[in-house]
Formats: sequence, C-alpha cells, structure tokens
Amino acid sequence: MKLLIKNAAKITLFLLAAIIISGGATSCKSKKKLAREKAAAEYELKVDQSKKDLTAMLNGTTTWTLDEQDTRLNAIKSYNIDDPEVVDLIAKVESKLSMDRAEEVRQAEEERLRLEEEERIKAAASKYQGVDNQLGAIAQAYNVDAANKQIDITLKEFATPDVPVLIIISKAGGYNDYDRPTTISKFLNYLKDKQLYNYKVEMVKRDGLGKITELELIKK
Amino acid sequence: MKLSYIWITAIIMGLSFSVNAQDELSPERKQAVDSLAIEKVRDLSKYISIIGSKETPWSEANRVIDRAEELFMEGSEIGVSSITKTEISYYNIRKYFERLMRLNYKKVEIEWYNIEYMSDLQKQPDGTYVGVITIFQKFKGYDAEGRLVYQDTTKKDITVYVKRKETQIGGRLIGFWDVLLGDMRVKETSK
Repeated sequence: MKLLIKNAAKITLFLLAAIIISGGATSCKSKKKLAREKAAAEYELKVDQSKKDLTAMLNGTTTWTLDEQDTRLNAIKSYNIDDPEVVDLIAKVESKLSMDRAEEVRQAEEERLRLEEEERIKAAASKYQGVDNQLGAIAQAYNVDAANKQIDITLKEFATPDVPVLIIISKAGGYNDYDRPTTISKFLNYLKDKQLYNYKVEMVKRDGLGKITELELIKK
Repeated sequence: MKLSYIWITAIIMGLSFSVNAQDELSPERKQAVDSLAIEKVRDLSKYISIIGSKETPWSEANRVIDRAEELFMEGSEIGVSSITKTEISYYNIRKYFERLMRLNYKKVEIEWYNIEYMSDLQKQPDGTYVGVITIFQKFKGYDAEGRLVYQDTTKKDITVYVKRKETQIGGRLIGFWDVLLGDMRVKETSK
C-alpha cells in the first residue's frame, strides 16, 4: 500500500510535468503563429499603403515635394515588395519623378535666364538712358528751331551725320526684324517731324574717341 | 564618301531652311510688318501736313519733300480731286508735293484719319507682300482773313509693297523689311 501511494505521487508528479511541458509547447506554437499572422498583416498594410502612395505620386495628387517623393519611393523600394502591381507602380513613378525632375531643372533654367535677361535690360536701360533722353528731347522740342538746336547738340555725340541707325520692329521667333536702315541725321530730323519718340536704345557702338558709330533702337 | 555627301546635303538643307524661315512670317512677325506699313502711311500723313502748312519754312518743307519722296516706289502717282471738278488728276510724287507746298491759300490744314488696311498684305510669287491701305483726308483752305474758303474729305487707297532685303552694316548682314508706297488713288470726294 505504501509503495502504491509512493508511486501514485510519482505518477502524479510525472503527469503534472507532462501537462506543463505539453502546455508550454502548445503556447510556443501559438505565439509563432501569431507572430506570422502579425507579420503578414503588417506586410499587407505596407503593400496597401505603398500602392496608395505610389498612385498619389503618379497622379500628382500628393503635396510632397520632389525630394520627399524620392525619399518615399526609396523607402517603398527597400521593402522589396513582390506584388506585381507595386512593381509596376514603382517603375511608372520612377519614370514620372525623373521627368518631373527634368522639368524642374528646365523651369529653374528658364527662370535663371529670365532674371538674367531682366538684369541685362535694366543694365542696358540705365547704360543708354542718356542717349534715349537726348533723342526724346528732339521729339519733345516746342518748335522747329528748338528741335534743330537739340539735333546739333545730339549730332556731336556721333562720329558722322551718316552713322547708321537700325530699328528693330520685332524680335519674335528668335529673329530681329528691322525697318529700312537710316542715318542718324535723317533719323533725328524724323523725330523732329513726328514729334514722337517711341523707341528704346538697344545697342550703341562707339569709336576710340567715344563717338557713336552705330545705333540700334527697338520700337516700343 | 556617301556619308560626307549626306552631311553636306543636310547642311545645305539646314541653311536654306534658315534663310526661308526668316522670309516666312509667323503671325507675330507679320503683325509687326503690318504695323510698319501703317506707320509709313502715318509718316506720309505727317509729311503732307508739314509740307502743306504755310507756317513751315521753305527749307524745311523741301527737306520734308525729300523724306516723303523716299517713302514711294519710283514712278508712283498721287490722285488729286476737288468737289468743284469731276475729273481726278494724277501727279508724280515730287510734283504733287511741290504743288501742295504752293497751294493758293493763306492757311492749309490737312488731317488724315481712319488709316486702316482695306486688303491685308498678301505674299506674291516674287516674295513681295502687297496690300492696300485706305485713308480719309480732310482738307481745309483759309483765306487771308482766316475764312474757310474750301474744304473737302477724300477717301484714298494706297498700295503698299513690302519686301525683305539685306544689307551690310558694320560687318553685319542685316535683314530688313523695305516698305514702299505705290499709287495713291482717289476713291471718293465729298464736302
């Protein structure tokens, strides 16, 4: 009887240990499954979010800057998602971002050239302001005698009365279209007759003595 | 060898395209040329009023006649009408201006208005653009007492010729539009 009791205690202990061990193993198995499920859910979430972000970038509906879009695209690429739709979207977005980047560079260059041209025009305007003022004064003279005096003063700035005057009538399409060239003497008298100076000095060439040898105007 | 022929042909084609492109007018450039032709007619209007004015010194009037003459093609004529006569007389340019300068009034006022294209500049086979510009001229002649003794309004058509030409200036080849006026025909005369 004593032996039975002693063995029963051992058996119970053994059974208890078996239950605990088998229970622990089941619990471990369940944890792995949960972890797998969790990882799968996270992956699905990443795929969904990636699709959404890539589609927004492709359609241009995102407010991200190009740099932010690049960062996001690189992050998505680092996930190594093998979903065919995501792979296709990545290729399309890469192409779009590359085009957008080229357009951004083009626009920046255009803006730089525009500012450069503005600066050039400003510099030229102040550079030739004196000549413009003299020509304008002839057109605004209150009578023929006053205009003739102004013509005499102005002609002293020129190498000869036959200095060529070119008048640009249009700069469209990259071509300079000119009116028939004239001479400074004729042009100054023309201003006197017309009583109107609607030009702007575009270019002045001078000789070694500082006298004007060629004048180019643009019609306003 | 073949390749060099292709290159030469391509370069020649490129150059000829560049030259043709300058002759072919985009709407923007055409507008600038249209405006230039109208501007020449306005210049003529100003010259006519200076030449006709009795206040213009003789030397100035003669200088302006020279400038005005330069606006016209050689051999062009200007029509003159009157409300007292049915026939229209045509004079060569120089004669018309000299006659205008010597009109027998104490004071003359000439004003041009409604200067506009009657027919747009059209390219001709020889490359010249030809159009017609209509103007209305109001003429007033006064006697020594300042009385208006004659006035009329004349509608006139001026043929305009525009041709692209080239010239060397300061070592540069300059392509310019040469605008020349042709005959000025009287269309209507009224009081």
